[in-house]
Amino acid sequence: MRLTLNWLKEILGRNDLGALDIADILTMSGTEVKKVEYPAERFKNIIVGRIIECSPHPDADKLTLCRVDAKERELDIVCGAANFRKGDKVALALPGAKLKNTVIGTSRIRGRVSEGMMCSEEELGLSDESEGIMILDDRFVVGDGFAGAMGLDDVVFELEVTPNRPDCLSVMGIAREIAALKGIGLRFDDPGYSIAEDKGLDILIKDFGLCPRYSAKIFSNIRGQQSPVWMQARLKLCDIRPKDLIVDLTNYVMLETGQPLHAFDYDLLASPKIIVRAAKEGERIRTIDDNIRELAPGMIVIADESGPVALAGIMGGKDTEINDATKNVLLEAANFNGPSIMRASKSLGLRSEASNRFEKKIDPHLTLFAIKRFEDLLAKITGHAESSGIYDSFSPVERERALTLRPQKVNQILGDPLSGQKIMEILNGLQIPSKKEGDNIQVKVPSFRYEDLEREIDLIEEIARIYGYNRFSSNPPKVNQRAGGYTPYQKAVRDLRFCLSGIGLSEVINYSFISRATLDRFMLGDRTKELVRIINPINEDFEFLRPSLLPAMAQNVKDNIKYRIEDLPLFEISKVFKKAKKGKLAQETNMLGVLLTGRRQKKGWNSEESFYDFYDLKGILEYLSQRYYPQQKLLITHKEFGFFHPAFSGTARIGDIDIGIIGKIHPHLSEKLEIAQDIYYSEINLDLFIDNIKTEKHFKPVPVYPSIEMDIAIMVDEKIGSHEIEQVIWDAGSAMLKGVRLFDLYKGEQIEKGQKSMAYSLTFRGDDRTLKDREVEVEIERIISSLSKNLNARLRQ
Amino acid sequence: MQENKAEEILKSLEEEYKDFSESLKEAENTKDVENIKVRFLGKKSLVSSTLKNIGKLSSELKPVVGKNTNVYIKKMEEELARKESRLKSIEFDKKLREEIVDLNLPGRKPKAGSKNIISSVIEEIEDIFAGMGFDIAQGPEVETDYYNFEALNTPQDHPARSLHDTFFISDDVLLRTHTSPVQIRYMEKHKPPVYIIVPGKVYRRDYDVSHTPMFTQIEGLVVDKGINFGNLKWTLETVAHKIFGKDRKVRFRPHYFPFTEPSAEVDVSCRICEGAGCRVCSGSGWLEILGAGMVDPNLYRFVDYDTEKVSGFAFGLGIERVCMLRYGIDDLRSFFENDLRFLKQF
Ligand SMILES: [Zn+2]
Repeated sequence: MRLTLNWLKEILGRNDLGALDIADILTMSGTEVKKVEYPAERFKNIIVGRIIECSPHPDADKLTLCRVDAKERELDIVCGAANFRKGDKVALALPGAKLKNTVIGTSRIRGRVSEGMMCSEEELGLSDESEGIMILDDRFVVGDGFAGAMGLDDVVFELEVTPNRPDCLSVMGIAREIAALKGIGLRFDDPGYSIAEDKGLDILIKDFGLCPRYSAKIFSNIRGQQSPVWMQARLKLCDIRPKDLIVDLTNYVMLETGQPLHAFDYDLLASPKIIVRAAKEGERIRTIDDNIRELAPGMIVIADESGPVALAGIMGGKDTEINDATKNVLLEAANFNGPSIMRASKSLGLRSEASNRFEKKIDPHLTLFAIKRFEDLLAKITGHAESSGIYDSFSPVERERALTLRPQKVNQILGDPLSGQKIMEILNGLQIPSKKEGDNIQVKVPSFRYEDLEREIDLIEEIARIYGYNRFSSNPPKVNQRAGGYTPYQKAVRDLRFCLSGIGLSEVINYSFISRATLDRFMLGDRTKELVRIINPINEDFEFLRPSLLPAMAQNVKDNIKYRIEDLPLFEISKVFKKAKKGKLAQETNMLGVLLTGRRQKKGWNSEESFYDFYDLKGILEYLSQRYYPQQKLLITHKEFGFFHPAFSGTARIGDIDIGIIGKIHPHLSEKLEIAQDIYYSEINLDLFIDNIKTEKHFKPVPVYPSIEMDIAIMVDEKIGSHEIEQVIWDAGSAMLKGVRLFDLYKGEQIEKGQKSMAYSLTFRGDDRTLKDREVEVEIERIISSLSKNLNARLRQ
Repeated sequence: MQENKAEEILKSLEEEYKDFSESLKEAENTKDVENIKVRFLGKKSLVSSTLKNIGKLSSELKPVVGKNTNVYIKKMEEELARKESRLKSIEFDKKLREEIVDLNLPGRKPKAGSKNIISSVIEEIEDIFAGMGFDIAQGPEVETDYYNFEALNTPQDHPARSLHDTFFISDDVLLRTHTSPVQIRYMEKHKPPVYIIVPGKVYRRDYDVSHTPMFTQIEGLVVDKGINFGNLKWTLETVAHKIFGKDRKVRFRPHYFPFTEPSAEVDVSCRICEGAGCRVCSGSGWLEILGAGMVDPNLYRFVDYDTEKVSGFAFGLGIERVCMLRYGIDDLRSFFENDLRFLKQF
């Protein structure tokens, strides 16, 4: 919300308020001042001048030579506009003035000196376009500063009013805050209202739940006219476009009091009867912004006997709008149900200053006050306000609340002891009456704070806020010592992150969203069956919650390649989502995605270029498996997934738990993604992986006898997997066999087709003695014979 | 005659030794030493021939000449060995010095990866709180309206709901707009004292230069006997100083959140302008870093705590914002672009 310093000064009746001081105390009391603007700065060296002579420029058809009275002296001005006459008052930019970033100086135009410039509204930044220069009316005084004369010599505050303080969406509300903070005595007393006795207007509220109060007054014999310059200036500074006096007054009074007003052309109403009711199915209204609005039940309308004439609390109707011919005005000051207004404004996509205020619930007592203020201003400006009494329809509601405030509770919540007297002083400053009763303070919450001061704690906040948060002392909680810290799961995730970044991978974090198109492209198979869908996505890219980390990580590859970053060892730890089997929430699973692509090693002076392959990725899984499951073996079982290369595709299993998948991205998929390099990807279910970690470890004595290594090379059918061979070796070896390491694998011309040569280095060690060669030879013989028997393997010489 | 003979031999040996000493002194390398060795101790040397001819001497002279000759031999051998070892070490040293090594050729670097900046900052903040005795709690990202709004004192039609543009999964299931629902979930399961923080992803339906539809928060909740606003101030001041540096000023501004009362926003003084006002702090000299407040007693009703016995405070801070302020990152979106050149800086 925007308001101005002069307006505040006027309401507070004080002239000694500094702009920065006001900004600071408001910010520090909860109404943050986002911006302080000084509109007059733009108009430095621009004054009111009067044209005292003009004649055509002898050498230019379209230019006029003017002599302009600037009070101090007379100036020669060459002007290109044609909309002025001798005697007109104008906005005169003197040398030194700055218009749209151009500094005005004395110049020669077609041989004639021009000692400044007469400005158009557009040049002054007062409107988007204008024809000719701005002509000022008679009330302007020659020599006066233009900004001051226009009512623009003011300071504008842009405020962020929190949603619990609808009362602060007004100059009066903010003035009340300042009064409390600065100890200025301020009261807004009821001025006394004349309630209509006659039946000149019939108000029918169908549902007081939708409209607790509807007050109105009829003003007669209105002459169409502009509002005064100062009022237009204030409205403009508050970002409201001036229109005509009546409309400007409704806006002005709304800004000042917080009560939205609406003016109807009384004569355009079908009947002297206002009906406030819910809209009917299929009803429509043309609003003053010239749009036809389809109404829905639940929206509140103001209707006459022929149909809706206004969208209550949001926008008036075009048909009964104030216009140049308006003679009689029906002024509405009503109170509408906040949630209804909020829903209607949301579903129509139409927000206004009025709806914004109603949404937050306004004091129903304000209607009469606002009408009175309108009337007073109208009388002051036009010298005339012929009007009816006030027509007022309402359901009596309780708007005063008695609360008990315990000073001891105040201190318990705030920490520092504040005296009962101090507390009462603060409340009284806020125009909240209070009195001491025994140990407690009895508080009467006034109507204008009825919505937000419901409980003792609400009063405690008021006290803290006005006293000043930064005046309270800071103290550590008097905690009984607590251990705190991380669960085993949290520790494992931290450790994983540490390990993976330690071995060269970089951690990415992607959005949880995924599009239908991406899901289809990645052929995620079963995972697309139970997708979690967002019913109001920003756009189709954000429609689903991702069931896999792969698509986003593949996109990371693509995005990096754009910048020629092609070597990407990446990981991500994030949740994937699917519909839960039970309950309404999603099944959320923490996943670890690991992706390798590009070069493992660039060519260097002492190294050859090499590329990541499947076994680099498998090695990472083995590293993790060994770190967290030292007793178990990682086993990859071939299984096809749509997004993986059919041969390089499998599940990873540790012990008897399937912990995830591993593979190479299908060449077709890479092609669709326009990525011309191999991508290896593994996804591990972290919840499974971590939950099964055995955290306790037992020390095993370090071997004291030396080990012996022996090598064997065998030839077997190339289809036999290495884990099968190893299993046979382990089974055949005795307890002395401590290690099996493949150190060579050969397929090719040297050996029979369909066969491969596998060379293993076997480690033997005795737990209680140094082994003799003969013992190891016996082991080797047994292993070889078992390999030959079980796998038809032959020893390769 | 015999004695003369003996004296003669001894004298010639002595002269030979002098010669040896001279030659050895001049020896410049191990090769010279080798030559000297051959010359003075070899088959054709004086000492060799002396010993060879010793049989010709009388039995009285034999031991005298023999003993003396062996003394010379031993002396010469020792001196040769000393000299040789000295020269060898000099020569070896020289050979080492002659090696040409470019010490500035690139080394073989182990691969260095990187934790994500968001993870790093979360871990850092977790460590601060763990040190103060807090536990770390988690909750679902797909959440019910009840936990995200209702139980946080934000019923349907509450004006504060419009501040959170929410992604919905169904009428009453949504993507959590803050980590605060975990407050309720945790209190439902645990009795006070409660000291927790909750890091996690949150979602709002907003996507422009200064908003991403997903971002990261850390929530905090303390509920215990006798917790007051001063405790909130101390805790958050301490944390702000740990994160942003001891020299930062910290201030508390009243604000509004439906689930805390009194509520505050917390600012730290701008490091760039030292409080004078600059572009980064929009001229105010202060940077907002977190929202906080005393837990609204209404929340305790949802979790069956006794408002007269316990009180507490809660706070929430945006991790990306902390990163931006601390590292001078100016585009929020860069956190989720995952450009390796960005990732590797942290
Ligand atoms: Zn700054």
